[in-house]
Amino acid sequence: MTITIDKIALFLGIVLMLIGLYGAFSLKSIIRIILSLSIFDTGINVLIVSLGYLKGRTAPIIDGDKVTVENIFNVAIDPVPQALVLTAIVIGFGVTALMLVYALKLYQSKKTLDINQFSDLKW
Amino acid sequence: MVSPFYLLGVGLGLGFLLGLTGKNSKKYTSAITFVAFAFFVFFSISWLIPFALKQVTETLIYTAGFLPPFSISLSVGFYEAVFSLMINSLGLLSILFLWKKINSESNALGGIILVLFMTLNMLVFARDIFNIFVWLEIAAISTSGIILLDKNKFSYSAGFKYLLASSIISSLYLIGVVLVYFTNGTLFLNDLITNASGVTMSVTAVFLMLIAIVLELKPFPANGWALDVYEGANPAIGAIMSGGVATASLFLLYKFSPLLDNKFSYLFVIAGLLTFVGSNLFGIKQDKANRLLGYSSIGQIGLLVAIIGFRPFLGDKFEFIAITILVSHFLAKAGLFWLSDVIKQDNIKNWSVLRRKPLLLVLFGIFVFSLIGLPPFPSFFGKWELIMMLSGGYKFAVVTIILVGSFIEAIYLFRWLGYAIKLDFSELPEYKFELNKIIPVVIFGALVLGAGYYAGNLICLKTLNYIPLAFIVLLYFIDSLPAYIKNTLSILALGYYSYLILPNLYETDMLRFIFAVIFLIGGIITLVAGYAYKGKRQGFYPVALLMYVGLALIIQAQTTLEFFFGWELMTAGSYFLIIRGKKSIEHGLSYILFSIGGAYAILAAFGLIYAETSDILLSSLSVATQNITLIFSLLAIGFMTKTASLGLHIWLPGAHAEAESDVSPMVSAILLKAGVFGLFILMIAMGHNPEAEQIGLILGWIGALTALVGNLAAAFQEDAKRLLAYSSISQLGYILFGLAMMTHLGWMSAMVYSINHFLYKSILFLTIGAVVLKVGTHDMYKMGGLIKNMPLAFIAVLIGIIALSGVPPLSGFAGKWLFYNAIIDKHWYFQGAIVFFSGIVAFLYLFKLIYSVFLGQLKDNLRKVKDISVWFAIPIYILIIGIMIISAKPELYLKPLGTMISGFYPNGELSWTGGLANAPYGYWNGSGVMITIGIMFSLLFLWLWSLSRKAQKVKQFNIVYAAEAPQRPETTHISYNIYAGYYKSIGWIVAPIFEKFWSTMTEWIHSVSDFGRRIYNGNGQYYMTHILIYMLAFYFILMH
Amino acid sequence: MEFDFKKLGFTLLGLLIVLNWGLLMSAIMRKINARVAKRYGIPWYQPWVDLVKNYAIRSQITHGIMFYLGPVFRFSGGVGLFLFMPMLITAGGQWTNYSFQGDLVLILYFQFFGMLGMALGAGEGGHPYSAIGISRGLSQFTAIEVPMTLAVISLAIQYQTLSIADIVKAQQGGIMNWTMWTNPVATIAAMLSLLGALAHAPFNLVRAPNEIPIGPPTEYHSTFLGVLQTNAAVLHVVEAALFMNLFFGGASNWFEFIVKTFLIYFWSVFVGTVFPRYRIEHSVSWFLKVPLVLGIIAIIIFM
Repeated sequence: MTITIDKIALFLGIVLMLIGLYGAFSLKSIIRIILSLSIFDTGINVLIVSLGYLKGRTAPIIDGDKVTVENIFNVAIDPVPQALVLTAIVIGFGVTALMLVYALKLYQSKKTLDINQFSDLKW
Repeated sequence: MVSPFYLLGVGLGLGFLLGLTGKNSKKYTSAITFVAFAFFVFFSISWLIPFALKQVTETLIYTAGFLPPFSISLSVGFYEAVFSLMINSLGLLSILFLWKKINSESNALGGIILVLFMTLNMLVFARDIFNIFVWLEIAAISTSGIILLDKNKFSYSAGFKYLLASSIISSLYLIGVVLVYFTNGTLFLNDLITNASGVTMSVTAVFLMLIAIVLELKPFPANGWALDVYEGANPAIGAIMSGGVATASLFLLYKFSPLLDNKFSYLFVIAGLLTFVGSNLFGIKQDKANRLLGYSSIGQIGLLVAIIGFRPFLGDKFEFIAITILVSHFLAKAGLFWLSDVIKQDNIKNWSVLRRKPLLLVLFGIFVFSLIGLPPFPSFFGKWELIMMLSGGYKFAVVTIILVGSFIEAIYLFRWLGYAIKLDFSELPEYKFELNKIIPVVIFGALVLGAGYYAGNLICLKTLNYIPLAFIVLLYFIDSLPAYIKNTLSILALGYYSYLILPNLYETDMLRFIFAVIFLIGGIITLVAGYAYKGKRQGFYPVALLMYVGLALIIQAQTTLEFFFGWELMTAGSYFLIIRGKKSIEHGLSYILFSIGGAYAILAAFGLIYAETSDILLSSLSVATQNITLIFSLLAIGFMTKTASLGLHIWLPGAHAEAESDVSPMVSAILLKAGVFGLFILMIAMGHNPEAEQIGLILGWIGALTALVGNLAAAFQEDAKRLLAYSSISQLGYILFGLAMMTHLGWMSAMVYSINHFLYKSILFLTIGAVVLKVGTHDMYKMGGLIKNMPLAFIAVLIGIIALSGVPPLSGFAGKWLFYNAIIDKHWYFQGAIVFFSGIVAFLYLFKLIYSVFLGQLKDNLRKVKDISVWFAIPIYILIIGIMIISAKPELYLKPLGTMISGFYPNGELSWTGGLANAPYGYWNGSGVMITIGIMFSLLFLWLWSLSRKAQKVKQFNIVYAAEAPQRPETTHISYNIYAGYYKSIGWIVAPIFEKFWSTMTEWIHSVSDFGRRIYNGNGQYYMTHILIYMLAFYFILMH
Repeated sequence: MEFDFKKLGFTLLGLLIVLNWGLLMSAIMRKINARVAKRYGIPWYQPWVDLVKNYAIRSQITHGIMFYLGPVFRFSGGVGLFLFMPMLITAGGQWTNYSFQGDLVLILYFQFFGMLGMALGAGEGGHPYSAIGISRGLSQFTAIEVPMTLAVISLAIQYQTLSIADIVKAQQGGIMNWTMWTNPVATIAAMLSLLGALAHAPFNLVRAPNEIPIGPPTEYHSTFLGVLQTNAAVLHVVEAALFMNLFFGGASNWFEFIVKTFLIYFWSVFVGTVFPRYRIEHSVSWFLKVPLVLGIIAIIIFM
C-alpha cells in the first residue's frame, strides 16, 4: 500500500476529528470545548477534501486551456466536495462565532467558564 | 405560482437589512417583519390553493439553470405547501405575540426570526441533501440567536447547550452527506430515492444522515439539551421551537422516508416509540410548566417519528394520521407556550391564575384536550385511524405501547388541568392581558377546533352530528347569563333532542330506547334541580350538556368510531362536572385517568375488531372470531372502569361524594349507565360466541364481589354521599352480574336493576344532596332528627331505601326475585349467594343513612333548618311517582323488557297470566302483593290509630334513658361507627387492597420517572455524550 | 276481578288460630325457661293478660309519625308473612292464604318489611339503646341469612321450584320424604340460622335484657307494645311454619301444624337455655363458619 497524499489527508482528517471529539468531551473550559469542536469541524473538512481527491487531475476551473467544457469530466477533479467544504467552513465560522458570543455571555453571568457550573437547568 | 425563491429573497434580504438599520428604525421592526410574514403566509396559501384544487402537480425548481447536484433544488407540492403554511402562520403570529419585545430589543431580532422561518421553509422545500445541511446549520444559528431574547443565565446556558448539541448533530449529518455523495455520486434526494431500490447505498452513510435528523427531533433520551432550551428560553421561543423547528425537521424526516428499507423503518419506530413513552414518563414528575411542555412536545414528536416509521403499514391513511396528530400538536403546543408567557407562571400549580380570565382557561382546556387526543380535536381522529391501521397489521404490542404512552401523557396533562381548574390563585400576582398576546392564542384555539371539524368530516363522511356541540359552544358564549336561563335552555335542548330521537328508537330498538330515556329524560329531571342554584353557575351548563351529548351519541352510534367519539365526549363532560366539587381535585384526576385507561382498552379492542373485519360497524363486534378473549376482555375492562367494578372502583366514592348536589345524581344514576350500555353492547356480541362463556363467568364473579365489597364498604361510611357512592358501586356490581349470566332472566334482572337504580339512586342522591345544601355537612353523625324539619326529604329517602333494599312491595323486589330465578337457572349458586348476602348487607347502610340523618336526636345547630328546596323536591317526587307506578304495575315494564330480551335470549322468559309472572322456578304477582300489603297496612294503621289516637306528643329528650335525662343530642345520637362489632367480625373483606394496589402503582411510576429523569443532569457535555451514545447504540442495533 | 270472600274468611280464621297458638306457645316456652332456672314461672294465660293490659293503658306518648308507624310496619310484616305463606296444605286448599301471589323469595324479602319499619320507628324514639339494638340486630341478621340463603338455594335446586306449596307437596308420602332426610345438610344449616332468626340465647343480644333493656322497642309502651307483642306471637309461629314447610313436610291439619311448629320453636328455646349470650362480632363470625360451610356443602351435593 502506497502512501499517497489523499490517504495522508484522510488519516489527518480522522485524527483531527478524534482530537476534536476528545477535547469536546473531556475538557471543562467552555473556550476549550469550542476550540475542540472547531478542530472537529476542520477534521471533517479535511476528510471531505481528501475524499474528493482524484490523482493526477487538476482543479475544476474551466480556463479554456487545460480544462474545457468538453473534457472537464476527465481532467478535473470533482468540484462538489470543494464547494461543500467551502460552505461548511463558512457555516462553521458562524457557529464558532456564535458559540464564542455565548461563552462571553456565560462568563458574564457567572464569572466562570467551567461547563460544570452551568447546569441550573436539569431534570 | 410564486417561486419559493422569492421567499428566500425576502427573508434573507430583509433579515440582513434589519440587522444593518440604525436604532431609530427600531420601533418599526415588528411592523416590517409582520408584513414580511404576511407575504410568507400569502405565498404559502398561493401554493396551497392550486394543490388543494388539484390544478397542478408537484414542481421542482432549480437555481441558476443547472441540474442537481450543481444547483440548489426546491420542490413544491401539496404537503410542502401545507407545512409551509403552518410554519409561516406560526411565524406571523409569533411576531404579533412578540410585537413589543421585538420593538424594544435590537432590531436584529425581527430579522433573525425572519431568517429562521425562511430557513424552516427552505428545509421543507429543499431537495438537495447538502443544501439541507446548510439550512439545518442556519436554523441552529438563528435559533440560538433568538434564544438570547431573554437575557438571563438560564437562557444563556440553554442556548449554549443547544449549540453544542446541534453542532455535533450537524457534523454527523455532514459526514453522512459526504459519504452518500461518494457512494452514489449525487446529492439530489430524488435521485437517491430512485436509486434506493436499485443501487445498494452505503448503509452507514444513510444511517448517519437519518440518525442526525432523528437527533434533530430530540429523541429520548438524547434530548436533554432540548428540554433545557424549552425551560430556559422565553416561552414564545419554545412555541417556535416546538411548533416551527420541530415541524420542519419532521418534514425532513418525511422527505427522507422513501429511502427507508425495513431496517430503517424499525429504527424510526423504535426511536419514536421510545421517545413517546420515555419522554412522557419522565415528564410525570415535572412541575415546571415550560419544561413539562418540552417533555410533552418531545413525546408527541416521537409519536410522529414512529408514525413515519410505520408508513408502510398505514397505506393511504398515513398522511391523514400524521397531519392530524401533527396539527393538533403544533397548534396546541404553540398555544400552550404562549399561554405560559402570558401568565408568566412557571410552576404548574400556579396556572390556576388562568381563571382570572376564563377565556384563557377554556383555551388551555382546548389545547390539553387536543394534545391528549380527545374529541372533537383532530388528533382524536388521527389516533383512531392510527390504532385501526396498526391493529390491521397485527401489531398489538405497538398499539399497546402507543396507548400506554398516551395514557402517561394524560396523567400529567390532566393533573395540570386539574390544578388550573381548582387551585386557589388569590395570592398569585396579576398578569397583563395584552391583546397582541391573546389574539394568536385565540386564533390557534379556533383553528384546532376547526381542524377537528374538518378532520371529522374527512374521516366520517359527515355522519357525525355537530349540532349539539355547536349548542354547547353557544352555551359557553352565554355563560354570563343567570343560571336559570341557561338551565331552561339546557332542559329545552335535551327535551328537543329527546323528541327527535326517542319516538324513532321506541319503534326500532327497545334497548337503546330505554337507555336513551335514562340518559335524556333522566338528564332533564336532574337538571330541574339546577333551578335551586342562584347566580351564574359559570361553566356548569356547557360541560353538563357535553356529557349528555356524549351519552346521546353513544346511543345513536352505528359505528365503533361514533361510539368512541361519544364515549370520549361523555368522559370529558363528566370529568368537568365531577371536578367542580369543592374537594374534587384528586378525585377528578383519578376519575379521568381510569376513564382514559378504560377508553384506551376499548380503543384497542375496536382496533383488533377492525383488523379482522375491516369494518367499523358496531355490529361487527359479533362477527369477530379471532382474539376473541382478548377483545372481549379489553372491552369488558374498558366498560368496567365506567361501572366502577371491583378493582377499578376506587375513583368512584370520592368523585361522586364530593360532586355538587345535583351533579352526584347525574354522574351516579345516569352516567354509570353508560358503562352498563357498553356492557350490553359487549354481551350482545359475546352471546354469539360460545368461547365467551369463560369471560362471562369471570365477569359474574367480579360483579358478585363488587356487590359485596361495595355494600360492606357503604355500611362503614360516615359520609352520606360516600355511602351512596359505595352503594352505587355495589348496585352496578349486581348489574354486571346479571349481564354476565347471559341468559334471559339474567338480562331481565340487569335491566330491571338498571332502571330501578336510575330511579332510586337519583332520588337518594338528589335528596341527600339537597339536605347537604341545607345542613352544610356530609357527615351523618353531625345530623340527626331532621324528620321534623324535612318531612319531604324523609319520605323521599324512605321510599328510596325501601325500593333499593328490594323489600316488597316496591319495585326493587322485582330485581331480587328475578335474580333468584336467574341464578338457579344459570347454576351460579355461590356467586348468587354472595349477591344475596350483599343485598342483605345493604340494610345496614340504608338504615344508617335514614336513621342517622332523619331519626334520632336533632342537633342544636340544626333546629331551624328548613325542608329541602322545592326545585329539588320536584324532580325527586316525579321520580317517586315513577317508582310507584312500576311497583304497582311491574308488568308495565317487565313485559316490554321481556320482549326485547327475547330478541337475544328467547329461552326462559317469564310467562304472564294477568299480573302474575311465572318464571321457571317461582311466581310473583306484583300488583297483587302491592294491593294486599296496602290494604293490610291501612287496616292495621287504622286499628292502632283507633287505639292510641290520643297519644301525647313529647319533647325530644323525653325518653327512658336509664333514669337519666340526656342533656346533649350529640351524646345521645348513636351514629358514629355504629357497626363497630360488625367491622371487627368481617371488616377484613373491605380492607383497602385495591386502593393500596393503585397507590403503589402510582408511587412506582413516579419513582421511576423521578429516577430516570436524572440523566438530564444539565451538563452540556453529558448531553453531547448522550447524542453520541445514542447514535452508536442505534448503529449497532441496525448492523445486527 | 271477583272478590273471594271465602278465602278471606279462612285466612282471617287462620290468623286467629295462629295468634292464639303463638301466645300460648310463648307462655309455655317462658314456663320451660323458668323451670330450668328453678323458678315457678308465669301462668299459661299470662300473655293474654299482658296484651289486655297493654291495650288498655290510657297514658300514651309518641315521638312522631315514624315512631307511630313503626309498630304498624312491624305488625304488617308479621301479618304479611302469614298472608303469603301457606299454612296447611290440604286438598281443599283453603288454608294456603294468599301464597298464590308470590313464592319463597317474596317471603324471604318480606321479612325485612317489618324489621325495617320497626327499626325506623324505634330510631325516631331517639333512645340510644334502640339504635344500638337495631345496629346489632341488622348486623346479626345479615349473617343469619347466609346459611339460610344457601339452604334455600339448595332446596330450589333439589325441588326445582321456589314455590312453598310445591316444596311441601314434594315432601308428601311418608316421613322419609321430608327434606330433613332428603337434604339433611341444608336442614341443619337452616336450623342453625333459625336460632339467630328467633333471637333466643345465644343470639339474643339484639334485645339484650340486661345490657340494653329489650333493645329496639325500648321506647315502646302501652298500645304500641301491645301491637308488637301481638305481632311477635304471629311472627314466631309463621317463622316456625316456614321451616316446617321447607324442611319437615308441611302440615295437612292444625294438629300436625301445632306439634311441628312447637318442636321447631322448642329447638331454639332448648339451645337458648343451655348456652350463654354471644357478643355481636362473635355471633356474626359464628354464622359465617360452620353454618356457612354446611350451606355450601348443601349446594355442592345438589350441583
